[in-house]
Amino acid sequence: MTTVLKTESLRKQFGELTAVDDVSIEIDDGDITSIIGPNGAGKTTFYNLLTGVLQPTAGSIWLRSGDGATDDGGGLREITDAEPHEVAQAGLSRSYQITNIFEGLTVRENVRVARISHERTRLDFRSRATGDEAIEADIEELLELTGLTDIADTPCDTLSHGEKRTVEIALALAIEPDVFLMDEPTAGMNPTEVTEIVSLIRELDADLDATFVVTEHNMDVVTDISDRIVVLAEGSILADGTPDDVLTDERVTEAYLGSDSV
Amino acid sequence: MSATDTGGRVRKFGSAVADGWTRERFGLLGALGLVLLAFGPSFQIYLFTDFLVVALFALGFNLLYGYTGLLSFGHGLFYAGGAYGLAIVLRDLGPVFADVVGSGVAPLVTFVVGGLVGLALVVAVAVPVGWLSVRLEEIYFALITLAFGMIGYSLIIQDPAGLTNGTDGIIVLLGSVDVGGESFRIGARQTYYALTVVVVLAAIYGVWRVVNSPFGTVCKAIRESPDRAAALGIDVRHHRWMTFIISAAIVGIAGVLRAGLASVASPGLTHWSTSAVAVIATVIGGATYFSGPIVGAFIFLYIRWGISRFPTLDAYWELFFGALLIGVVLYFKAGAVGGLLLLRDRLFGEGRAGGDDGPTQGGGGAAEPGSSGDRADDRGDDS
Repeated sequence: MTTVLKTESLRKQFGELTAVDDVSIEIDDGDITSIIGPNGAGKTTFYNLLTGVLQPTAGSIWLRSGDGATDDGGGLREITDAEPHEVAQAGLSRSYQITNIFEGLTVRENVRVARISHERTRLDFRSRATGDEAIEADIEELLELTGLTDIADTPCDTLSHGEKRTVEIALALAIEPDVFLMDEPTAGMNPTEVTEIVSLIRELDADLDATFVVTEHNMDVVTDISDRIVVLAEGSILADGTPDDVLTDERVTEAYLGSDSV
Repeated sequence: MSATDTGGRVRKFGSAVADGWTRERFGLLGALGLVLLAFGPSFQIYLFTDFLVVALFALGFNLLYGYTGLLSFGHGLFYAGGAYGLAIVLRDLGPVFADVVGSGVAPLVTFVVGGLVGLALVVAVAVPVGWLSVRLEEIYFALITLAFGMIGYSLIIQDPAGLTNGTDGIIVLLGSVDVGGESFRIGARQTYYALTVVVVLAAIYGVWRVVNSPFGTVCKAIRESPDRAAALGIDVRHHRWMTFIISAAIVGIAGVLRAGLASVASPGLTHWSTSAVAVIATVIGGATYFSGPIVGAFIFLYIRWGISRFPTLDAYWELFFGALLIGVVLYFKAGAVGGLLLLRDRLFGEGRAGGDDGPTQGGGGAAEPGSSGDRADDRGDDS
């Protein structure tokens, strides 16, 4: 197993409050790792640190670099101070807990934006946006993969919640990430939609080389998809291991399951 | 390009014109209208030229507002930049060009060079001003651009370098071209109208290309959600900066044309009230549509002219536009273009080609950039 994402003593302080407290974690290539924890455990803050939205108070973040550049001798590059777009270009992509897509554009246009970004043609103001055949073919392929082909030309603000959540995932995938951080992919979904998203995640995990990191409140989903579970509580790691180990851990039951009545 | 290819295109165009209410037929009608207007009353030519210039001003502004989601209250700075660039070259370098290229064509050469200098000046100003401004968003962006505009106003009035002639501004004399016994004044109504039509149409086409390019697609994404765009690897600040510069350059071209039309480059061009003209025209026409600023400029200038025919009303013309603006912002955010499209759908039904779910669909949203209702899509123009 190779480490694709690593944090060292990562810490984020908001005034008196320590949202993320000394978190050191190594994410292995190809796994689906779930990060769980009660509300306020620091999951979203942790994601915001990883993706450059927030700057850590202390500690460092490392990502395996696709181009072979290395800062530590082990193929990892430090992205601690990188800006969000630099993190994304380095191969770390995310989806949001609260749907964050380009509402006014169609599904296809949404994905096109991501492909334009990935192919680095965003400054081309002479060509037609729809004129790049390679990009258009990639868009079709991705829409197919995520099951969005039928609603490709629908403006996103008229989609159902479940469809928007799928666009959310398609967008993050479109930049071909090495590591994909999913922030509560099933947030606000009905049971049917949850089943669909779970099978989509399984499918993507099988089809793609990407490594998945998922935060999730739905424990059925977590036990279903995870190779590994990391439990965060009050900003630090409480438990870390296989689903069987973690979910039978007494401290976890106490801190998380007990308090959250799942 | 082979001859048969061209022939094929001409035939295709011909059959499209013959085939009902096509875009080609509307295009031909429009072109015919533009030509016919050149033979109309002198004042009408002037008014329409004025409209074209303001339309380009607002269109350049809307690249940043409707498309990228940044409301600038300082685009008068670039309007003035184009105007003063031309005016200074005409005043100071006219004789030099006469010596170099001969007095016959010198006015034309000076005008072209002056226009290019105006454009270069605008870009030179927009690069640092934009770089600083795009660090801010929303109301703070509006305020910093307002501040830059008023700094420009102050500098032009105080004239520390002795270039701008203070509050009086610089007289713009375009002169006459003499070639082979023929002589024509560049500033003559019809001549200047023809020149403006060509430049403005070319610039509108340029903006249309930008809007429909990968660059423009990314602009729309940034308008919808800047942080999502960043999470996809887009350098949002850099993209906004580039859009700012392009937007300023378009406005600069309008400024060059403005100076020639008004025969003066005056400090008022960079006053915030001039910047507001672009905002008002765009909002009235509909920021969510490519043609919104153009239609808005038309409404603005022709209503303004209509009011000016009645001296008692004229004193209150700003009041009238204030009321109109309040009405549009409160009750009809899609603006005039949204209204026209709604009317078209009512009259001709939904059976338009293209598979849109109705162009006014997004029109009911908020007038604030960045909200889902405020989208400058070309779908309203059937493209």
